[in-house]
Amino acid sequence: MNSFFRKLLWLTQRRDKQAELHRELQFHLEEEAEERQERGLAENEARWAARREFGNVPLVEEATRDEWGWTRLEQLARDAAFGLRQIRRNPAFSAIAIATFALGIGGITAMFSAFDAVLIRPLPYADADRLVMIWDDMGKTDVTSRYQPTPAEWIEWRRLNTVFTDLATSQPSEATLSGDGEPEQVPARKVTWTFWSVLGVQPMLGRVFTEDEDNKSVRVIVISHGLWQLRFGSSPSIVGRKILLNDEHYEVIGVMPRGFYFLPSREIDIWMPASFPPWLRMNFTWHDAQIVAGLKPGLTLERARQSMAALSLEVTAKDFRGPHSVILAPLREEIAGKTQTALMLLLCASVALLLIACVNLANLLLSRGAVRGREVAVRAALGAGRGRLVAQFLTESLVLAGFGTITGLALAVPAMRFLETLVPDAMAVRLALDWRVLGFSTGAAIAATLIFGLAPALRGSRLSPQDGLREAGRSTAGARSHWFQHSLIIIETALAVVLLTCGGLLLQTFEHLRNTDLGIRSERLLTFETPLFRYKDFDRRVAFVNAELESIRAIPGVAHAGAISRIPLTVTDQATFYLLAGQSGDSIPKQVALFRVVTRDYFPTIGARLREGRFFEISDRRSESPVAIVNETFADRNFLGRSPLGAQLKFGQLDKEGYWYTIVGVVKEIRERGVTEELKPTIYLLHEQTDQWSTKGAQPSGIVVRIAVEPASIVSAVRQAIWSVDKNQPVWRVQTLEEIVDRQLSTPTQSTALLTAFAVLALLLASVGLYGVLSYAVTHRTNEIGVRMALGATSGGILLSFGKRGLALTLTGLAIGLVLAAFAARSMTALLYGFRPDYLPTVTVVSLILLAVAALACFVPARRASRVDPVIALRNE
Amino acid sequence: MNRTAPSRVEFLQGTLDLLILRTLLAGPTHGHAIAKHIQLTSEELLQVETGSLYPALHRLEARGWIAASWELSNKGKRARFYRLTRLGRKKLVAERSKWEAFSRAMAMILNPADREAQ
Repeated sequence: MNSFFRKLLWLTQRRDKQAELHRELQFHLEEEAEERQERGLAENEARWAARREFGNVPLVEEATRDEWGWTRLEQLARDAAFGLRQIRRNPAFSAIAIATFALGIGGITAMFSAFDAVLIRPLPYADADRLVMIWDDMGKTDVTSRYQPTPAEWIEWRRLNTVFTDLATSQPSEATLSGDGEPEQVPARKVTWTFWSVLGVQPMLGRVFTEDEDNKSVRVIVISHGLWQLRFGSSPSIVGRKILLNDEHYEVIGVMPRGFYFLPSREIDIWMPASFPPWLRMNFTWHDAQIVAGLKPGLTLERARQSMAALSLEVTAKDFRGPHSVILAPLREEIAGKTQTALMLLLCASVALLLIACVNLANLLLSRGAVRGREVAVRAALGAGRGRLVAQFLTESLVLAGFGTITGLALAVPAMRFLETLVPDAMAVRLALDWRVLGFSTGAAIAATLIFGLAPALRGSRLSPQDGLREAGRSTAGARSHWFQHSLIIIETALAVVLLTCGGLLLQTFEHLRNTDLGIRSERLLTFETPLFRYKDFDRRVAFVNAELESIRAIPGVAHAGAISRIPLTVTDQATFYLLAGQSGDSIPKQVALFRVVTRDYFPTIGARLREGRFFEISDRRSESPVAIVNETFADRNFLGRSPLGAQLKFGQLDKEGYWYTIVGVVKEIRERGVTEELKPTIYLLHEQTDQWSTKGAQPSGIVVRIAVEPASIVSAVRQAIWSVDKNQPVWRVQTLEEIVDRQLSTPTQSTALLTAFAVLALLLASVGLYGVLSYAVTHRTNEIGVRMALGATSGGILLSFGKRGLALTLTGLAIGLVLAAFAARSMTALLYGFRPDYLPTVTVVSLILLAVAALACFVPARRASRVDPVIALRNE
Repeated sequence: MNRTAPSRVEFLQGTLDLLILRTLLAGPTHGHAIAKHIQLTSEELLQVETGSLYPALHRLEARGWIAASWELSNKGKRARFYRLTRLGRKKLVAERSKWEAFSRAMAMILNPADREAQ
C-alpha cells in the first residue's frame, strides 16, 4: 500500500485517528509528568511542568494532522467552500459573473466544436492530408477558370506523372432503382477502380471492384450504408444479389461503412465502375470528371503543382483551345469551401467575446476586491501570506468559473444544433460535446480564469494590513489603481467595436444577397427532377416531356409548368463553345457560354422578363434554322451597344453540319448558377430544336411548376400525373425554389446571424462593464462627492465630471476598435461574396450605437453621483 | 526556567527522520521514549520538540517506513508503539549512508588538517 492509498484510508478514519492522536499525546504528557514526579516534584507541579515542556497541544495536533492528508488540496477545498459561500452571499454579483462567463465559454465551445469537426478532425480517409483535388485551369475562357478535368487527362496523368501514388476519377451518374417497390432515383457516381485505394477506404461488407471489372464494364456496384438500410433492410445477404438499375441487372458486391462520404455530396448511394467508353478515352474536351490524387510521401504540394502544371501543358498541347495548366487544391479546402473563412471568423469572434467576458469579470472582481479590502486586511494581519491570499482569490474565481463553464456547456449544446447548418454539405458530420470539445472548453475556461482572476487576486492581496484596517472599508484603492480598470474598459469597448463592425458588414452583404434579383419570381414555385435516360430517342423524349407537362398543367391549382435541363440556382456548370456568324474559328477557344435546354413554357412559368425580342413561341418547331434566346451578359459581351436580335451563332456542333441559331430574344439575368455566384453568358434553346445535340445534358429533366396553392399539397398529385404518363418514371429532388434559395444562403445566413449575436452580446457586456466601473467609482467616492458639493459643486458639474470620464473611455475604445476593425474587415472578404459593403456608413452606425449605449451606461451612475446628499454622504464619515 | 541543558544543536532538515528510524532499530517503542532516547544518547545536545516529533512520526507512518499499533508500555499503560517496517529498514540504510557521506564531506572541508595527517 503506498502513501496515497494509506492517506485515502486515513481520510475515511479521520474521527478515529483524531481520538487516537489525542490519546497518544495525552500518554506523552502523562509519561513526562510521571518522570518528573519520580525526580521529586509534586504531582500537580509535575503535570504543569510537563505541559510547559510539551508546548501548545492543539498546535502539535494540528501539525500532526497535516501529515495525514494532502495539505494543499485541503486548503483548496476550504477556499472552494469559502468561494461557494461568497456566491451564496452575493447572488446578484454571482449571477452576473456566472452568466457572463457562461456566454463566453458557451460561444467558444460551440464554435470550437464546429471548427474542429470541419477543419481539424481527420477526414475519413487514410492519409487524408496527402489527398489533393486536381482541376483544369482554363484561365482564358469566359465561364470559369476552374474546370473539371477530362477522363482522358486522368489516363495520361496516371501514366506520366511522377508526384502521385495514384489518381482516381469520379463522374456524375444517374441511377434509377426499380424492380421491387416504387421506382427510385438515387444519387450515384461512376468511379475508377483506383477510387478505393486512393482514398484508402474499405467496404463494410463484401468487396470493391477490380481493375479488370472496370476495364471490361462488368455490371457491379458498391452501395452506401444508408441505401443498404433503407432499401434493402440491412440484409446481410445483399452482397451477390442482382438488382435492377437503369433497367439493367447489376450485382451488388459491397456495402460502404456508415461514415463514408466523398465529394461532391454525402448523399451518394451507389458507386459503379467508370468503364470509360473508347471515344471518351481520347477526348480532352469532356470536362465532367472529378480527380483526386494521393501525394507521394515526402513531396510538397508546391513541387507537385509545378510538376503537374508542366505535365498538363505537355498532355494538352494538341487541344484546339491551346494547352492549359492545372490547379491543385488540398482535399480539406475543397470540402470546407467558404465555411472555412466563416468558421475562422466566428471562432475569432467567440474568442473576442470570451475576452470581453474575462475583462468584465476582472473588473467585477476588482471592484469587489476593493470592497473586501477589510476582510483581506484581517486575514493578512492573522498571518496569511501573499501567496496564500492569491491562492484564495484564484480559487474563488475558479469556483465562479466552474459554475460558468457548466452553464456555458449547457448553452453550447443547443447552439451546436444551430451550427450544424454551417457544416459543409459534403460532410457527414454531427456536432457533439465529446471529449475533445470538453477538453478544449476546460482548457479555455482555466486560461480565462487565470486571465480574469489573476489581476484582481494580485491587486486584492497587495494590501498592507495597517492600511486596510485603518481605512476600515472606505475607498481603499488609490487613484493609480484606476488606470488598470480603465484600460480594461477600453479593451472591451474596442473588441465590441470590431465585432459590431464585422457584423454590420456581414449584415449588409446578407441584405444584398437576400435582395439579389434572381430573375425568377421565387414564391410558389415547385421544382423537381425527372431523369430522362430512358428516353434516348429524341422524338420519344419530346413527346414524353410534352405529355408529362400537359398532365401536370391539368392538376387543379397549377398555373404553369415548364422544363429545363438544369433547375435554376443549381451550381452545376453546363457550358459550350460558340461561334458567331462572321467570326473566324480562332475565337472559339475563348468563347464559352452556359447553355440550357428549355421547353416553351419555361420562361413564363418562372416569371422571367425580357429585355428585348421575344420568348419561344408555338411557331418555333423542329427545323434546320432554329432560334435561341441569350441573357444580358451574353448580349453585352458580344453585342455591346447594339441589338443582338437577328444575329446568328453556332454552338455544340461547330462544324459545317451544325445549325445556325438565330437570336430572337434577350432575357433579363436569371441566376442559373446560384444566388451568390457570378453571372455568365448563357444561351437558351428550345427542346424541340435540339435534335443535333448528343442526349447527355441536353434533356429538359428539371420541371418547374407555378402553383396557386401550398406546394406541399400538390406534390403527390404531380407524381401521380407523371406516373399516369409513364408509371416507371422516377421523380426526385422535389423542393420549392425558396428552399433552394434558403439552402444557398444558409452559410451567409448563419454566419451573419452568429456574428451579429456575438456583436450584440459584446456590446451588452462592454456597456455592463462601463456601467460597473462607473457605479463602483461613484459608490467609492461618495465622501469626496459630498465634500465637493458641500464646498459648492453643482449637481450638474458632478454629472458632467462622471459623464466625461465614461465618454473619454468609450471614445478611446472606439478609436482603437475602428482601427482594428479595418484589419478584421480585410480578412473577411471571402464572406462578402464580391459585394462591397459601405464601410463608412457601417462605422458611423456602429459608433452611434456604441455611444448611445455607453451614454446610457454612464448616465445612470453619473446621475446617482449628482444626487448625492452631502449631509448623508458626510455623515458616513 | 530551570533547565540547565548545555547549548543545544538545531536539527538539520530531515535528520529527525533518520534519528527516529535509527532509534526504532533497537525495537518498537512509543513517541515519548523515542524523544527521551535521542535526548539521552546525544548527551542532551539534541532536544526533540513534540511539535516536530509527532508530525515526523505520522509522516513516516504515511510513507510506510514505520508502522504503529497500540501496546502496553512497561508501566502497563496503553501507548502507541512504532516499529520499523521492511521498507523502513531499507530506507534507514540508504538515509544513513547518505548522511555519512555528507558528514564525511563536511569533515573533510572543515578539518583539512586531519586529512593531511592520514
